[in-house]
Amino acid sequence: MIYVVYALIFFSAFFALAGVVGMLRMPDTFCRMQSSTNITTFGMIGVIAGGVLYSGFVLHNYEMLIKLLVMGLFYILTTPISAHAIAKGAYHHGNKMIDEAVCDQYKEDMQQ
Amino acid sequence: MSVFLYCAICFVVLALVLIVRLVIGPTAADRAVVADAIDVLCDMGLVLFALYSGRGIYLDIALITAVLGFIGTTLVGKYLEGKL
Repeated sequence: MIYVVYALIFFSAFFALAGVVGMLRMPDTFCRMQSSTNITTFGMIGVIAGGVLYSGFVLHNYEMLIKLLVMGLFYILTTPISAHAIAKGAYHHGNKMIDEAVCDQYKEDMQQ
Repeated sequence: MSVFLYCAICFVVLALVLIVRLVIGPTAADRAVVADAIDVLCDMGLVLFALYSGRGIYLDIALITAVLGFIGTTLVGKYLEGKL
């Protein structure tokens, strides 16, 4: 069981590293937002799944297990909300997309 | 279980690297996104340190940090949209 926990934590560490590299190198606000959500979803969910398995099957500490489950549920519920709010705010504040972008369907929807 | 401690140190180092983008980020939305990402990485470090030490008090701190980060990011988003 401990090797499953290690595998989940290394998985999330890889995705956190990929998200940080993408956040430093992406050309655009919206592309960087994609890397940020990558860190939040894959990284945090991997760490929380590993923590649930470790605290349930190795530590037998069910208080920590319930806290980790509440935290995972909270992250799953609130990550799309905050990402949506900040993307909409950045668009209305006037952040431009990169020149190679091929379509802007939110603008087309607003013009209707 | 020192693997947890080493992984927590790696997450905190990644959060420190993101301060570069916090300094050079061109607009306010970039800085809000990067602050949210730093918040999440510190949360991951706290969860791993709670697993390493076996004490549940660090999970409380991580949960409160998650709630405050969500509220801050959503408020900055609504403010930039102009509806606040």
